[in-house]
Amino acid sequence: MSRREKTWWWVGGALIVVYCLFPIAWIVSLSLKAPSDLNTGGFLPSAVSWENYQLILTGGASDLFLPALRNSFGICLIATAISCLLAMFAAYAIARLDFPGKRLILSTALIVAIFPIISIVTPLFNLWRNIGLYDTWPGLIIPYLSLTLPISIWTMSAFFREIPWEMEQAAQVDGATTWQAFRKVIVPLATPGVFTTAIIAFFIAWNDFLYGISLTSTSAARPVPAAIGLFSGESQFVEPTGAIAAAAVIVTIPVVLLVLLFQRRIVAGLTNGAVKG
Amino acid sequence: MSTTTLPPTKKDAPKSAPAATTSDRARSERKLGWLLAGPAFLVMLAVTAYPILQATYESLFSYRLTDPDNRSFVGLQNYGVILSDPLWWQSLWVTALITFVTVLVELVLGFALAMVMAKALSSIRPVVRAAILIPYAVITVVSAYAWQFAFDINTGFVNSWFAWIPGVGTDTDWFGDFGTSIFVICLAEIWKTTPFISLLLLAGLAQVPEVLQEAAKVDGATWWQRLWRVTLPNMKAAIMVALLFRTLDAFRIFDSIFVMTAGANGTESVSFLAYRQTISRLEIGLGSALSVLLFLSVVLIAAIFIKGFKVDLAQARGEG
Amino acid sequence: MPNAPGRSGFRGPAPAPLRGRSRSRRRGVAGAAALLVTAGTLAACGGDSGGTPTLTWYFNPDNGGQVELARRCTEEADGRYRIETAILPRDASSQREQLVRRLAAKDASIDLMSLDPIYVPEFAQAGFLAPVPEDVAERVTEGVVQSAIDGATWDDELVAVPFWGNTQLLWYRKSVAEAAGLDMTKPVTWEQIVTAAQEQDVELGVQGIRAESLTVWFNSLIESAGGSVIEGNADDPENLELGLDSDAGRQAAEVMKMVAESGQAGAAFSTENESASAAEFEGERGGFMVNWPFIYAQAVSGVEGGTIDQAVLDDYGWTLWPSVLPNVPSAPPLGGIDLGIGAYSANVDFAYEAAECITTDENQAYYMINEGNPASSAAVFDAPDVVEKFPMADTIRQSLEQAAPRPQTAYYNEVSGGLQREYHPPASVQPGDTGPKAAELIAAVLRGEQLL
Repeated sequence: MSRREKTWWWVGGALIVVYCLFPIAWIVSLSLKAPSDLNTGGFLPSAVSWENYQLILTGGASDLFLPALRNSFGICLIATAISCLLAMFAAYAIARLDFPGKRLILSTALIVAIFPIISIVTPLFNLWRNIGLYDTWPGLIIPYLSLTLPISIWTMSAFFREIPWEMEQAAQVDGATTWQAFRKVIVPLATPGVFTTAIIAFFIAWNDFLYGISLTSTSAARPVPAAIGLFSGESQFVEPTGAIAAAAVIVTIPVVLLVLLFQRRIVAGLTNGAVKG
Repeated sequence: MSTTTLPPTKKDAPKSAPAATTSDRARSERKLGWLLAGPAFLVMLAVTAYPILQATYESLFSYRLTDPDNRSFVGLQNYGVILSDPLWWQSLWVTALITFVTVLVELVLGFALAMVMAKALSSIRPVVRAAILIPYAVITVVSAYAWQFAFDINTGFVNSWFAWIPGVGTDTDWFGDFGTSIFVICLAEIWKTTPFISLLLLAGLAQVPEVLQEAAKVDGATWWQRLWRVTLPNMKAAIMVALLFRTLDAFRIFDSIFVMTAGANGTESVSFLAYRQTISRLEIGLGSALSVLLFLSVVLIAAIFIKGFKVDLAQARGEG
Repeated sequence: MPNAPGRSGFRGPAPAPLRGRSRSRRRGVAGAAALLVTAGTLAACGGDSGGTPTLTWYFNPDNGGQVELARRCTEEADGRYRIETAILPRDASSQREQLVRRLAAKDASIDLMSLDPIYVPEFAQAGFLAPVPEDVAERVTEGVVQSAIDGATWDDELVAVPFWGNTQLLWYRKSVAEAAGLDMTKPVTWEQIVTAAQEQDVELGVQGIRAESLTVWFNSLIESAGGSVIEGNADDPENLELGLDSDAGRQAAEVMKMVAESGQAGAAFSTENESASAAEFEGERGGFMVNWPFIYAQAVSGVEGGTIDQAVLDDYGWTLWPSVLPNVPSAPPLGGIDLGIGAYSANVDFAYEAAECITTDENQAYYMINEGNPASSAAVFDAPDVVEKFPMADTIRQSLEQAAPRPQTAYYNEVSGGLQREYHPPASVQPGDTGPKAAELIAAVLRGEQLL
């Protein structure tokens, strides 16, 4: 590669980074603006102010934000755990066993993945009201499975298909018991796939908005994306721009951390599950 | 591929085993398979098939939640109301427009991104990769707010930065009419989902045999010719899968519209229309009918892709 | 935020006794989800479950005034009951959405709710409000401004407790009015202020956003012109008689069009809400504005916080909402909050006791002073500390007495939504055309023949 060509790829890479990070930088900058600084039309705050963070963490909006944060973490983690557990068994069967219906399961996962969420929301809203799941954690965890389970099954079975299962037999031949062989050989090989799947499933659950606003109505179960949309400012008529920006930054921190720590795996997981020729 | 990836030991086993055991084995394997995969399968059915059946049933009633006494069976009337209402067609058109524009731009832009990533020097690759995952991982609502605030006439910087562009000034109200609202909505959607497409395309790009590229080079093909004759045909499967998924995903657009315009100036999408009938107006019957119609639209789009463009998902996904 | 420490003391976990009970009862029904429910319950509940009945008050966001009133009344109850607060979304229609959805599920955890009067008929009609005991009704309407009582009444019966009553004034910059030669001691018309704004090239703050604010504006215009959105009320929505296709309807539409095309309504007129108007009015080009009195309290605290010059505040003038027809008094917008008691509450008696405590004159005065939201009790406007803080107290009271409520119907959501669809953006309004079209749309929606 010539030197000039090299420079161009550098520039291309830099452009991509700017493209990806610019809106995030903007919302961070906005969250650091004091209320009087919001309408100046500038990109950067004229002075860094933590007022918005105070508002949502200890001030008036904390009643909305903190419970929502707790709900989001709880609900998303439980939904992710359940779908990973279910997907683990399913993916094992798909990758390792030969049985009719394999394609049926994978096609079903595909159909569920493209299902219009609003079509699920309407009937669930009515059903949940009747059986008392409206505005509860399980009332969100169950529909979240429709988001997380299909992708978990796809991603995990793609990972599992690459595990050299014969090593298990080899270990058994070497005198290990079935359990030992499974634990010592298979588990370490399968863990990265399960872990990556969990991260991707968590992203998807964390992103949900429609279920969140439709199936909750109080801090008992309302997740963060839904709560942000309902924020109020310092008084009923003041625009909550700063509070929204600060909350947006806080909910973005976990996903950015996950991305920075596990970027390689996430890319592998996304592309593995999606395209394999 | 499902058979070729199976461990060799398994394939060897039946050969040495007597016929009777084979079928026993097959039967127990089948049983085990369903035992393991069954729960996930049932859960998936429970969270989708059941609701859509329920919605189909409820769509046959006139039923308002704040007026439960007047619930009555109306047959297909709700569908008649929706299909004869210009609002439905308007929102369907808006949804189709957003879908078409965003998917098209994302595909081109995503391909460019994938090319850069494929060629990017190993020193900057991790940085680019991490950056590209961020829009994917950021919550749609957050992205929608970021873009909305950026274009907002009061809080935004766009008006003062881009005042040199004809038609943009410090008092341009981006959310004041249809065209500009749709523009910002599309921009936000494109920003958020292009990285995902580019990753899918990157994976497709990696599958284009290097030998073919070299051969074409030797034959004196230009970069452009190689792109059209070698690269693109070889990643058709990846492109089609990306296209299908993004199309269906874009068709469900809700969050950005909810945040940015709340449907003002005719920017309502079909999901938003259904949401308002069910959740805001509590018209369960009409809302259910809309849900069913939306589901049928998605099935139709998927069918067109799979039959019309012959997207073989199984093959693309390594299941062939 | 003021009152932050007081708040955190109140924040507490979900109201334990009531919620806990209803959840565990439902657990059996949920069946397969039993395990999940446990997880949810453990995480979401788990407060103390002492013997004191806890009332939950769902309130609209404010500066902490309602939380403080809850604290005061809990103290006054002296251990007989406690009031906990749960915050609702910002705008009235989302507040309604949240409440209606829960009430439709017969949620027993809603004891008190801060209700926008426009939704009182719908809630009453659906049976979501516990009947007001006669003696309570008598006490809570004594000395209350008539329009506030009307807002809390449905089918000739008081169904909610009037708490505070809001109304819009016409705010103007004294310097601008003077320069334009307007005599603000006399009622002015829309035409006059539009002309004055054009002459002086100042902004005219009106809420043109597609939201409830637009209905507020339109309704007062048509009422000021002598008409009404609903001419004939009926229980059956199909028999509602709409007054949009009328002279008053056309005059209202003409004012909307005039403002939208005046060039003084601001660049973002079609997305302008109350706070955007207020920000505009505080600015250099501020001239005229119709808005709720909270903006005055906001400007005062802006001065205290150093973001607004004292000179700007001194320039604030106020008078009654502009007329549509010369020499005919206007019908200013009416807003406010009523306290509704949930029909499924287990503590209706305590809830009414609490509502009475919250709405005492003393508490209304406190609320007005701290929040800038006017009282519904006429006597409060004479309280010395109120007059001191709100020099326009008398104008507010007069405006409240003159104000016209928005259409009272159980189908308010449909009526208002239909109006917003046809009259937005205001620049697109065609005086002869929009009225009949809106009437047709609303009628079709109410018949269930069209979407909204």
